[in-house]
Amino acid sequence: MGKYLLKRLFYLILVFLVVSFVMYMVYNLVPSDQARTELEPQKKALGLNYQATYEKLRAQYGLDDPILVRYARWMGFIPFGPEHPKYPGQFHGILEGYFGESTQYKRPVTEVVGTPMVNSIQLNVYSTIITLAITIPLGIYCAVHAHSAADNAIQAGTVVGYSLPNFLVAILFIFLFAVLIPIFPTGGAKTPGSNYTGMADYLDRLKYMLLPILVMIFTGLAGMTRTVRAAMMDTLSQDYVRTARAKGLKEKVVIYSHAWRNALLPVSTSIMGWMIGVFTGGSLVIESTFGLNGTGQTYYQALTNKDFELALALQLFYTLIGLFGVLLTDISYTLVDPRVRIDK
Amino acid sequence: MNDNKKSGSEATKKEFFLTRWVRRLFFPAKELDIYQEEQVQSPVRTVIRNFMSKKTGVAALITLIIIALFVIITPIFVGFNPAEQDSTTVFVAPGLNMLSVPSGLRRNGVADIEVGGNYSLGCDKQGNVYVWGKSGVTRSIDLKYVPEEIQDMKVVQVAAGYDHCLVLAEDGTIAGWGNSILGQLDLPNALDSNNRLHNLKIKKIGASYQFSAVLTEDGQFFIWGNSNNGDITYRKSELDGHVSDFFLSIDSYFLLMDDGSVTYGSFTPAKAITKIPEEASSGVKSISGTSQTGLALKEDGSVVIWGSAAMGEKNVPAFSSPVKQVVGGRYHYTALLEDGSVVAWGSNARKQINVPASVSKAGVETLYSGANQNYAVTKDGKVLTWGFKGFLLGTDGLGRDVFTRLVNGGKMTMTIGAVAVIIEMIIGIILGGLAGYFGGVVDMVVMRIAEIVSSIPFLPLAMILSSILNARMSPDISQQQATTQRMYLIMIILGVLSWPGLCRLVRAQMFAQREMEYVTAAKALGVKESKIIFSHIIPNVMSVCLVSITLAFGTSMLTESGLSYLGFGVPSWIPTWGNMLNGARSSTVIQNYWWNWVFVGAIFGVTCICINLIGDALRDALDPKSNGR
Repeated sequence: MGKYLLKRLFYLILVFLVVSFVMYMVYNLVPSDQARTELEPQKKALGLNYQATYEKLRAQYGLDDPILVRYARWMGFIPFGPEHPKYPGQFHGILEGYFGESTQYKRPVTEVVGTPMVNSIQLNVYSTIITLAITIPLGIYCAVHAHSAADNAIQAGTVVGYSLPNFLVAILFIFLFAVLIPIFPTGGAKTPGSNYTGMADYLDRLKYMLLPILVMIFTGLAGMTRTVRAAMMDTLSQDYVRTARAKGLKEKVVIYSHAWRNALLPVSTSIMGWMIGVFTGGSLVIESTFGLNGTGQTYYQALTNKDFELALALQLFYTLIGLFGVLLTDISYTLVDPRVRIDK
Repeated sequence: MNDNKKSGSEATKKEFFLTRWVRRLFFPAKELDIYQEEQVQSPVRTVIRNFMSKKTGVAALITLIIIALFVIITPIFVGFNPAEQDSTTVFVAPGLNMLSVPSGLRRNGVADIEVGGNYSLGCDKQGNVYVWGKSGVTRSIDLKYVPEEIQDMKVVQVAAGYDHCLVLAEDGTIAGWGNSILGQLDLPNALDSNNRLHNLKIKKIGASYQFSAVLTEDGQFFIWGNSNNGDITYRKSELDGHVSDFFLSIDSYFLLMDDGSVTYGSFTPAKAITKIPEEASSGVKSISGTSQTGLALKEDGSVVIWGSAAMGEKNVPAFSSPVKQVVGGRYHYTALLEDGSVVAWGSNARKQINVPASVSKAGVETLYSGANQNYAVTKDGKVLTWGFKGFLLGTDGLGRDVFTRLVNGGKMTMTIGAVAVIIEMIIGIILGGLAGYFGGVVDMVVMRIAEIVSSIPFLPLAMILSSILNARMSPDISQQQATTQRMYLIMIILGVLSWPGLCRLVRAQMFAQREMEYVTAAKALGVKESKIIFSHIIPNVMSVCLVSITLAFGTSMLTESGLSYLGFGVPSWIPTWGNMLNGARSSTVIQNYWWNWVFVGAIFGVTCICINLIGDALRDALDPKSNGR
């Protein structure tokens, strides 16, 4: 197991390096650079000297070096040149915990993303727990009562639920639950102008988070129910289930300890995949629709305001989530299913 | 055999017993045993037959085909203009009732009609007031709610502004309703019914974009309202007592004096419409105008037009007889000639100058025109209408027709989805085919690339690529070109990021197929390897890939819409269903302008559901287990 983990981690790092290099190259396509951003306010004062000063500053920042060198500096593998205006001869990159500086907030990226990340994680954890709490029993019920009227109705519902794009559901829910029946606020992160502390603050934020959570639950319900149902149907048709029933075991025991445990295997992998999808894609759309201050909203804002360093950092964060998600999926496979041997 | 019986009995169960009897009587089922069936049917035909036996799948397929045909064919007739924007038709509610003259007005005879933007105001000979069309001008003001006291008045003349209305009663009282916060309803003291001089007889009232005007029989002129928007000062001491008519344009006005000259009533003639030409300084019978031009009808029946005629208002046609009356809309003129014929010229963007042939023969007595609507009252009191009826599905925040955008957006969304899927197919099938056929190092490299691409979260990556590559595009191309480029960019991004799924599928199929006899045979015959892959194996794999491709089409449409919804997809000049919903991101729109998201949401939702149903049905049809074998 340990060896396998090490191998996978090594592979993950390799992929991350490749991806981050590609992302860095994409980032370098931005038609502006650090030197230009810094000189822009003095453009008038410099007049004809502008071009010369710009070239000099470019050289100092090392922007004319080959892209691999710049990438290595950005990652913090090699130090900056001795003439770098801010960090002469120092290592100052991602490995040192420096992800760049947000032009929007004029602060290091690491400071900017703190609160949004907490919000996003909250949003996702709440909605995931509730979704799973609903879908697993529902999926099992549907599989056990397959092709009954209730199952057919639920199946029809899930097709609708999982076909509709989340932003459409969000618009619909805003209309239904914030406009038609105004129980929730239409958007935002907290009551404007409020100054709550402690529990009151938490509850106030929760109130604003409820509708987004509801939307995420709704969009998650259909897909997960279908997955659980399919997996359960598959195991219920296995011979050992028939054997268990033939032995005269109680139906409850057959379903929950014989079938469900085995169905958990495909379910657990799709849960992981689904959670990654929700965290990176779904909550991005929903946060920006509701104006909820999460990572998705921050990423969206960074891109709309051309704050590319912040966007790049968040993009790396998303990539890491994706990669770790795959790793966790594989590990969870081995934990859930003893048949999968990985120490070879 | 077993299978056939089973599916047969299942199908008949749902059938009505009489039809079943009739069918059994006249069309005996051709029962094949499983071996015959295998011989007769190719896999593709089996799949099609299986698919056709699924009602939901077939229904979804038919619905999708209908929607697709609708969005492919309709745009041929309703083309769209990417530069279309109209500040006068922002958030107009859906409906085609702009020309629906109320029956009461038709019955009692028209005394006066005036068009104010997207609604019309009229009064009949009994003094009743009518409002029709899209009278909800803002969220809180709907002009169709005429105040009680005005309903009780005996109204003889009406004036419709942008967001307010004025009426003149028989006893000389002037009253109004609508938006009053900019002073457009604050009557000058001299006209106020409480302290008004009794000998003051009102000749004409007028209302325009947030300002109003009144002219008395003895030539006194009053104008008031929002002076920020309109040029509404008046040289009172100089001109008062000699005014015989006035015309209010959208932001200015001019007067007809009793000596037959047209005069600008304010101080500085800054706008083109206020620079009255020499020809209009004498012998003018009546005046009219559009939003940007003025018109003088002279005693000899000729017309003089001045102002900025950007919409063709100066393209006066040759008249068959002298002009009797001319009325102006927003960008067009309609004229009644002495011989009873009606001609129109100017902008025809909303079909406002297409005068029906029957109008000229009907014996028209008076014309009323405004915005894009025309009304004609004949000598026997009938009301004829032509011009712009309204927007079937309303308009959006930039005044663009939702219906036009809906059908063109559908075409665009489907085109983008299709192109993205084709790109995805090309990459996925080639790479998957190579990896599966050759295995080894090729397989390893391809699969690692696929893993990397698929492990990066899709939406953020597509967003950052779209955003950065877009910032990179050369700035000196026109907006139109940039939009087209961006559209291609989205197609490519979607295609390039979504191939790994298909690639894996093709690869897995290739592994199975390359061991088959026909491949060995082809190899033994010395067929080139590329030919074996792409013309021997791939066609056999395609049926399996079909599901994946169907679903990929749906996914591409969804992703494109998601990107456009967030504002990182196709720019809003080119409509797609996603960026139409982008307009519905504010709760104000969701709350008040439901037509901006309901229609597009519904058609988009139905399309997505159909694609998923088809994908499900196809998957079932392809699954050998579902055949009961």
